[in-house]
Amino acid sequence: MPPKVDKEKCDGCKAQQEPLCEQVCPGDLMTLGEDKKAYCRMPRDCWDCMSCTKACPVGAIETRIPYQLGYHLAKLIPMMGTNTITWTCIDINGKVERFRYVNRGRLD
Amino acid sequence: METPSSKTGLFFWDQGGRLGKALDLNWLLGKLSKTKGISCCSLLDDPWGPGGLSQVVEKVQKGELGRLLWVGRFSREQQGILKKKLAEEGFNPYLQEWCDLEEQGVCRDGLEQTVRNKKALLLIQMWLARVRLLEPLAPVEIPASDSLLVIGAGAAGLHAAVSLTNLGKEVHLVERQSGVGGKVASLHRFYPRLCDPRCGLEFSIQALSDSGRARFHTLSRVVSLEGGPGNFQVRLEKRPRFVDEARCNACGECARVCPVEVRVSAGSQPGGEPPGLLPAATRAIHPSLPMGFPVAYVVERQYCPPGCRECERACPSKAVELDQETREEDLLVGAILVTTGWDPYPLSKVEEFGYGLYPNVISNLQMEGLLGSPTETPKEVGFIQCVGSRDERHLSYCSTVCCSVSLKQALYLKQRRPDANCYVFYQDIRSTGFQEELYQKLKEMEGVTFIRGIPSTVRPEAGTGRLRLRVEDTLSGREVNLALDLLVLAGGMVPSQGSEELAQVLKLPRNSLGFFESHLQCHPEESQRTGIYVGGCSREPMGVAASIESAQHASLEALRFTGGTVIIDPKYPVVDKTKCDKCKRCMEECPFGSFYFDENEFPSPHLGRCRQCGNCVGICPLAAISLRNLTIKQMAAQIQAASTSFMDGKEPTVFAFLCQNDAYYAARDAVEAGLPVPPNVVFLKVPCAGYVNNALIADALALGIDGVLIGGCEDGQCHYVKGNQLVSKRSDDLSDKLQKMMMERDRVRFVNLEIRDSEKYTATVEQFVQDLRAMGPNPFKM
Repeated sequence: MPPKVDKEKCDGCKAQQEPLCEQVCPGDLMTLGEDKKAYCRMPRDCWDCMSCTKACPVGAIETRIPYQLGYHLAKLIPMMGTNTITWTCIDINGKVERFRYVNRGRLD
Repeated sequence: METPSSKTGLFFWDQGGRLGKALDLNWLLGKLSKTKGISCCSLLDDPWGPGGLSQVVEKVQKGELGRLLWVGRFSREQQGILKKKLAEEGFNPYLQEWCDLEEQGVCRDGLEQTVRNKKALLLIQMWLARVRLLEPLAPVEIPASDSLLVIGAGAAGLHAAVSLTNLGKEVHLVERQSGVGGKVASLHRFYPRLCDPRCGLEFSIQALSDSGRARFHTLSRVVSLEGGPGNFQVRLEKRPRFVDEARCNACGECARVCPVEVRVSAGSQPGGEPPGLLPAATRAIHPSLPMGFPVAYVVERQYCPPGCRECERACPSKAVELDQETREEDLLVGAILVTTGWDPYPLSKVEEFGYGLYPNVISNLQMEGLLGSPTETPKEVGFIQCVGSRDERHLSYCSTVCCSVSLKQALYLKQRRPDANCYVFYQDIRSTGFQEELYQKLKEMEGVTFIRGIPSTVRPEAGTGRLRLRVEDTLSGREVNLALDLLVLAGGMVPSQGSEELAQVLKLPRNSLGFFESHLQCHPEESQRTGIYVGGCSREPMGVAASIESAQHASLEALRFTGGTVIIDPKYPVVDKTKCDKCKRCMEECPFGSFYFDENEFPSPHLGRCRQCGNCVGICPLAAISLRNLTIKQMAAQIQAASTSFMDGKEPTVFAFLCQNDAYYAARDAVEAGLPVPPNVVFLKVPCAGYVNNALIADALALGIDGVLIGGCEDGQCHYVKGNQLVSKRSDDLSDKLQKMMMERDRVRFVNLEIRDSEKYTATVEQFVQDLRAMGPNPFKM
């Protein structure tokens, strides 16, 4: 299932050459439309890696998780700190679980 | 610089028992001395007395301490003394920090002892986390050229240039027109002294020529700008004068043979509004306008008949060179002054008074010309004020000078022809400051009538050529009918024609009215590009005296970037190139346009242009930018150290990021004034609210801090243009995300605080703590 872009929030990364989601997408699926808002051009090819969701600086992207993982209403939301990532899992019944990880693989 | 040892010295200053009264210092010292990395932890009774600091200095000399943390209230002056004293021993001043427990409310009355001690411990641990990551820094020196560029050689530019050359600086004056002097040269008289403006201009031109340090670039414009403060590389495009400046002695033989007549205009382009005191028309070869300096003549080549070379043949000194071409010249300057001045508002856009239709309806600038010429003075003269000004259809603002200009003109008219009758039609007379005297003088004068009302109709009288006016005097309520010989429209000022193009070349932001933007109260002459200063009417409409003053102030500021070297505080941002993915948001959002691409196309801050506000740190989606003395890692470490709760049981904890210009003072004064600030809050100060990166807020929330408060300036008051707006937008985005995460969006709050808003701060924190109690603990508290 493809990432869903909130068109109101997306600012097309100020119409720079490549928005962040386009840079980060491993399948090169994200791009800017004519309205200068990001969209996924081949939803079927998306692996649900959530890279774009994490990278979006305005929080405009949400990954709709595939049915194998959770039916409608289920959500998985990352929040990026400086060196941490937190995950919020919401299942179809609205039950919430939260996890926090310290990032490994530091670049510096 | 090599990394200093991690051995940290922790010194408490008891402040004569103030800390000791509130806190269990022995417990704190016992706890902290066991902390990893602390090699010395002691209490100073009196650091300023004999032997007080010597133990610290001794340890530093022996190399036992690599970093220092001072706990207690050290004033800025005292911090300076410490820094200086230790720097003498070779200790880098950037390797120490000050932790003020008192301003965080630890010593407040009515607080439980355990909470106090725990909060104090937590604060010291937070600051220790930061101290561990401190790096030795040193100021950076960048080379600075000793010359300056002044764009616009009008009254403001010339006077500023005189001051600068007097200080030994080299000044390049750039002027679009063929000669210097600007608008002021076309005026007849100055108020309040009613002297001739050329006198002051000639005086400054003389001073500039004598100094030998000023270069005039007439018929020129700036076409490109590279580099930054200290070394701007400016490219000028110089239109040909067609006369050799070195040879021409302005004898005027050429103008006598020239077959073409050319109309002169007040603006910098032909065909604009008619000029003031300048000749209405000249030959195609004429002296420099407006005031014959530079001395050489100039040829308006576009008006020459094809093949005509009369002037070239007539010139006795062989100065005319009709084959000159446009040239470019590169200059290296340390700072730039923009004094491009104003143009008259085109009165042809104001239709109701017959300007352009009837020959005896003229603008106030034309009136200057009339008063200066020997023609007969008309007897019945009307002045309409605020033509096109303070009018939503035209200019929304007041140009501040037009009232006094009309008063001056009426006064001079009466001096020339005592039996003349002047009528001033006004909405309000705005003769500010000492010009009130002029107004009072005219009110007393016979034959000068002030009518509060703007004429409803202006029609020519058949046969006589006079103008018939109908106007309602709104003070008496009566209709007045008048026949006038001349009607003068007092039009307003607009930024000069070239300023739009110049704004593009210099990348200078302009306000919605087209004037160059600046922070009007604190740094009126500082544009939003460091090293470029704006003075005079290019910033705001003002009178001649004010604009000279403003330009001179601007030149004083500009001196900072001249004189060999500029010293930059090591608080500038650095980009972590392993993290940066060149998204260019920092370039986009930097309020001062200080980022450029380095050789590998990474954004890199220009140290001279940067004003060290840290908005780039906040905007970076990857948290890859850090201020050198306040890195994002240090911040993150401080937040991490704050994750353990110091409050009892289920009491929420609040983490606040406060702008150090306003909100920090509000918070500090709230504690000092004894306001009931809840003890639940711990704050960090940041250079601008815009410094706060969403990742830092996310860190705080992920670590279980219940609420995050960001305190920034009121809208429009931010010293860094819009840091507060940027961060409030970002925190809104984060709030939306929290909502999606099934958390309360109100856990992140942004509040506008002014410097004296202590009570608002207290109320905000109280409300926040109450709301957080209702929300329950942060679900990430694990």
